[in-house]
Amino acid sequence: MFRVNAKRNGNHNKQNNDHINGYVVQLHQVFKTYESAAGRFTALKGIDLCIHPGEFVSIIGKSGSGKSTLINMITGIDRPTSGEVWVAGTALHTLSEEQIAIWRGRSIGIIFQFFQLLPTLTAIENLLLAMDYGQHYPMRERPERALQLLQQMGMAEYAHHLPKALSGGQQQRVAIARALANSPLLLVADEPTGNLDWKTANQVFSLFEALAKEGMTIVMVTHDNDLARRAFRTVALADGRIVGEYTNHTPQHLCKNIGNATHVPNVAIPPSASEAVR
Amino acid sequence: MKTNHLQLQSPLIRLRQVVKKYNGIAGEVTALKGINLELHSGEFIVITGKSGAGKTTLINMITGLDRLTSGEIWVEDVPVHQLNPEQAARWRGRHIGVVFQSFELLPTLTLVQNVMLPMDFARQGTLKERRERAMFLLEQMGIAEHAHKPPSAISGGQQQRVAIARAMANDPPILAADEPTGSLDSVTADSVLQVFEHLAANGKTVIVVTHDEDTARIASRHIVLADGEMIREAEDGK
Amino acid sequence: MMAAQWHKVINDLLSNKTRTVLIILSIMVGLFAVGTIASARYILSVEMAKAFAQINPSSGVIRTVQPFDSDFIQSVRSMPGVEEVDARRMISARIKVNDGDWTNITIYAVDDYQNMRVNKIFPQEGAFPPPNKEILIERVALNVIHARIGDTITIKLPNEKLRTMRIAGTTHDMAQLPAQIDGTPYGYISTETLKWFGEEYGYNELQVVAVKKEDKKAVQELINEIKDKAERAGYVIPISMTAEPGQLPLDDVLQAILMLMGVLGMLALFLSAFLIINTISALLTQQKRQIGVMKAVGATTVQIMRLYLTLVLFYGLVALMLAIPLSITGARTLSALMASLFNFDLNQMYIPVSSYLIQIAVGLLVPLLASIYPFLANLRISAAEAMSSYGATVQPKRDIIEHLLSGSNLWFARYTVRRSLLLSIRNTFRSKGRLLLTLFTLTLAGAIFISVFTIRASLMRTVDDLMAMWGFDVMINLTRPYRTERVTQEAWRVPGVEEVDSWSMFPARRIRPDDSESVPIYLFAPHIGKGLAASPTIFQGRWLLPEDENAVVVSSTLIKEEPDIKIGDKIVLKVNGKKHHFQVVGISMGFSLPMAYTSNDYALRITNNVGYAETVLVKTSNRHPQYIDAVGKALEKHFEQVGISINAATTMQEERSEAEAMFGIITSLLLFMAVLLALVGGLGLMGTMSINVLERTREIGILRAIGAANIGVAWVFILEGISIGGLSWIFSALLAAPISKALSSATGTALIGQPLTFTYSMAGLWVWLLLIITLSALASYLPARGASRLTVREVLAYE
Repeated sequence: MFRVNAKRNGNHNKQNNDHINGYVVQLHQVFKTYESAAGRFTALKGIDLCIHPGEFVSIIGKSGSGKSTLINMITGIDRPTSGEVWVAGTALHTLSEEQIAIWRGRSIGIIFQFFQLLPTLTAIENLLLAMDYGQHYPMRERPERALQLLQQMGMAEYAHHLPKALSGGQQQRVAIARALANSPLLLVADEPTGNLDWKTANQVFSLFEALAKEGMTIVMVTHDNDLARRAFRTVALADGRIVGEYTNHTPQHLCKNIGNATHVPNVAIPPSASEAVR
Repeated sequence: MKTNHLQLQSPLIRLRQVVKKYNGIAGEVTALKGINLELHSGEFIVITGKSGAGKTTLINMITGLDRLTSGEIWVEDVPVHQLNPEQAARWRGRHIGVVFQSFELLPTLTLVQNVMLPMDFARQGTLKERRERAMFLLEQMGIAEHAHKPPSAISGGQQQRVAIARAMANDPPILAADEPTGSLDSVTADSVLQVFEHLAANGKTVIVVTHDEDTARIASRHIVLADGEMIREAEDGK
Repeated sequence: MMAAQWHKVINDLLSNKTRTVLIILSIMVGLFAVGTIASARYILSVEMAKAFAQINPSSGVIRTVQPFDSDFIQSVRSMPGVEEVDARRMISARIKVNDGDWTNITIYAVDDYQNMRVNKIFPQEGAFPPPNKEILIERVALNVIHARIGDTITIKLPNEKLRTMRIAGTTHDMAQLPAQIDGTPYGYISTETLKWFGEEYGYNELQVVAVKKEDKKAVQELINEIKDKAERAGYVIPISMTAEPGQLPLDDVLQAILMLMGVLGMLALFLSAFLIINTISALLTQQKRQIGVMKAVGATTVQIMRLYLTLVLFYGLVALMLAIPLSITGARTLSALMASLFNFDLNQMYIPVSSYLIQIAVGLLVPLLASIYPFLANLRISAAEAMSSYGATVQPKRDIIEHLLSGSNLWFARYTVRRSLLLSIRNTFRSKGRLLLTLFTLTLAGAIFISVFTIRASLMRTVDDLMAMWGFDVMINLTRPYRTERVTQEAWRVPGVEEVDSWSMFPARRIRPDDSESVPIYLFAPHIGKGLAASPTIFQGRWLLPEDENAVVVSSTLIKEEPDIKIGDKIVLKVNGKKHHFQVVGISMGFSLPMAYTSNDYALRITNNVGYAETVLVKTSNRHPQYIDAVGKALEKHFEQVGISINAATTMQEERSEAEAMFGIITSLLLFMAVLLALVGGLGLMGTMSINVLERTREIGILRAIGAANIGVAWVFILEGISIGGLSWIFSALLAAPISKALSSATGTALIGQPLTFTYSMAGLWVWLLLIITLSALASYLPARGASRLTVREVLAYE
């Protein structure tokens, strides 16, 4: 199995090119079973999924289809009952919770539906905290980079505002900047626009598109089919299984990479994709 | 345009020059800028608007969950704007069922106990009757089999159905829902909206606030808010 | 069947067991502290007196030089105003256990041990009454002389005879000061053994119980009357004593203890009330959203209040059920411990109803009141506000603290300090109401803790001051006055003696302006301006000067007995049976006994003792305790060899340790209190921190999601705990000053009639800092560790 060399620099474009033939995410026969008061429940039933560097993948499916569980596997927030989870070259299924926490801070950025900024820290402090934990950049470079990221998200003027002084859309922009703080190999977004009105959602989604254009690998769960279609590839889940994969469009810079990947049917997501999912 | 036969009756809910101001960090914010509105019995009203348009504020005014700065709100013949939070709570218990985006079931009660709760507070019927009605409502929502589970043991869509059952507990004439499908995927959302449709068809007045314009297609009346004002009243949908 | 709302109460209790246990524990500790102190105070004040009453304590004691017989006892018994009278023989002797050193002992000979009428002596272990030619030793004294039952002792009698005896058993004699404090052990023999000692038969100590034993003045008059009668019969009375009504030996100490317990008990009451308020309001904060939901579905505030009051009452009830039996055990253990230091046994330790009532009031009413306030506040806010997590509809007013900690003011921290520290500092001030309550609780606990240490330090410092006068190492009391020149010269012959001085002590009494007599006063006559006796600690006025004639310095303990004496007053003292006028020039620090000081020259002149001394004072060339001890023994031996009869040789270390032992009873009580209060404070912090952690479980999830390891998460909370603890420490340090000042003043007044020499305990300050930092780190680490064990998934599900 391919393993990503941990040596990185600040530019994720370059680093993605370093392992062109590898996958950022590779799930192999992942099963997840929950035991609860309501009984035994299998949320994932043998998921196989590979994501190339620089891909923008959306995951759709109705509630209970297992999409949140799938995303939790990729972020290491939850552990598979059986199967293998390789993310950014690390075998997550072999790591302890503690090791995963440290790995997560350095390797991936997570964006949540409810933003999840720390309420007592200002926007820039939220970024700096993530950088403190990630230990990816030297201390002196951190403030400058944090400000740069906020600028990129159009939030520089709000750098010293507390989250409660920001609107939902603004909070989500700060959250995206935070996710980028340690130059992650992968961005994982769980319904990032679920708590925003459509206009704001559209603006926030554009930010993801811009990042994807620059070569960032993005996995996004969404219930909005219109937005899902705008990703390069859409994975449809139902009942814990992948029931459909659609390539919406393949940007130039990825053609070379994905061309030899055989498991992806090169068809556009039909307008009735949402019907197929049901 | 307004040829609806419902107009012939006197309105169930009347809003007159409803203004709501908040004191925010950036100073005073006027969330509602003088709303005038008449809602009729049996209508299925959907209120849409961007976030910050004032739709949640508006529904909180109607349900008495929050107090208005000026203006009048009459529901049936009750001056809601004159009720203090205490009186509002008592009145709401019998006259308006409230549904929230994040369900808000009490985590330490079973589903049936959650549904019984408003009846306890309103002192409706005997304990046995309360229980029977709660079971009946859960059955209607198709979740009777889970009645004795805690909310954490069921899915979001199921939780929202229980929340609707709870809102119906005291058989109120009005049902108010703030983003009831906001935390649900579209399929589940549709099925929850069908429940509202069904209730409206059976004579309940249903008010739904949402940012999803699609929802409006099932409404009998569609009100669009922007910047604290009604900008459009569309008679789309049915 | 039960209404759903009551299911909520039950399920809330059961579903979050950690929280339930924490809340109950918090309330329980507070109740335990209050209950223990209240009950122990009652037990000590009532049961000690009851136990003491068993011996039928004397109202007054009269000692005679010549023995008297039973006819005299009979004649006293028939006097009006006398309820009961008994007599015994007292001998001051020297004792040697096995091959040890000589020490002092007081031996009593009683006619009939089984039928004592006054100051009864009870059997403890071994033989009783004392068999012929054998001795019983007071039970505490046995430890003091390091002997066991069956050991052989040698007794040197005043008549120079030596007797070897077996210790046949122990007695319990509550009328005497405990030997570990007094330093003098007590022995008990039969009258036959007295003959064997070569002493003539007869009594020299008369113990009287007055009919009006509650009336101090009447008792005094009665004792004077008996004394006059004895003197008319030709007996010389060197000493007579009266007791305060119902007063135990060491009553000063007991009073000081009861006072301290009263004050500390009140403070503990406040403390536990704060703790409970803190806990309950934290619980309600946690439930704010659910309260909002219930309002939304039609619950009135009264209905919600009823739910939560039931919940809170349940917590209170369970805490009470645990605290009451625990506090009974605690109070009995504490009382028994205290009583044992007084050499008392408490049989029936009755717990007062008031103690239960206080606990019930605190356990049920305080939680109720604590929960009513947030509800009243809740009445004003709408359901929408109650449900919003961060006050989305109403922005809180910006206050100074928030402003100070905001991004713009912590600019220096922006790029230098680690953000996790910033997070801790901001979180500290996040819930200001709870912070304030926690600070109150911790500050009070800390202030009391430091105060306790301060009183202890002040007690020790007071002992220093009490010893200030004694610039010598060994004091030798002679059996009668010897020529000063001779005894001084003899002392000089002993190796290791560096300086020699002498003084005399005269028993005296004050004759009050109305001609009544005071209690006995020890009139010391040291050399002024030369010699080894320095000035005692002077509270008011001045110490004696070499040119003083009839000047006198009186001790604070004398002022306690004779409160009308002021500086500049002329007072009359009866010394050796003659009245003399003295002028009061100063008030000195005294302890235990009423004392007065006048110049040696003057005192010897008026008593016709010029050139004689009764006490030899020696300073040794090396101050090492063992050396001083050895010199003391050598002096004793030498004086014996040259035929100077000595009564007792004491080193100042012994004196000091006796004084410290007496204060030690108070100190040990204070230490117990300190531990109890630290426990209450620590648990309070633990409760607050764990509720803080529970509230921020979601944030822990965020921290984990952005890459914080367990230790990283824990540090955020540990630093928060430490900053709360550190803040409270500063306040405690300040608050401790007035509290301890008041307490040491009250303690001093009870003990020595004057405030203690106040010394703020730096040790206490640092110990508390160490303790509070450790406690707060632990109190925040434990719940944080538990929370960071949750997977991020569980944590993010909290939204």
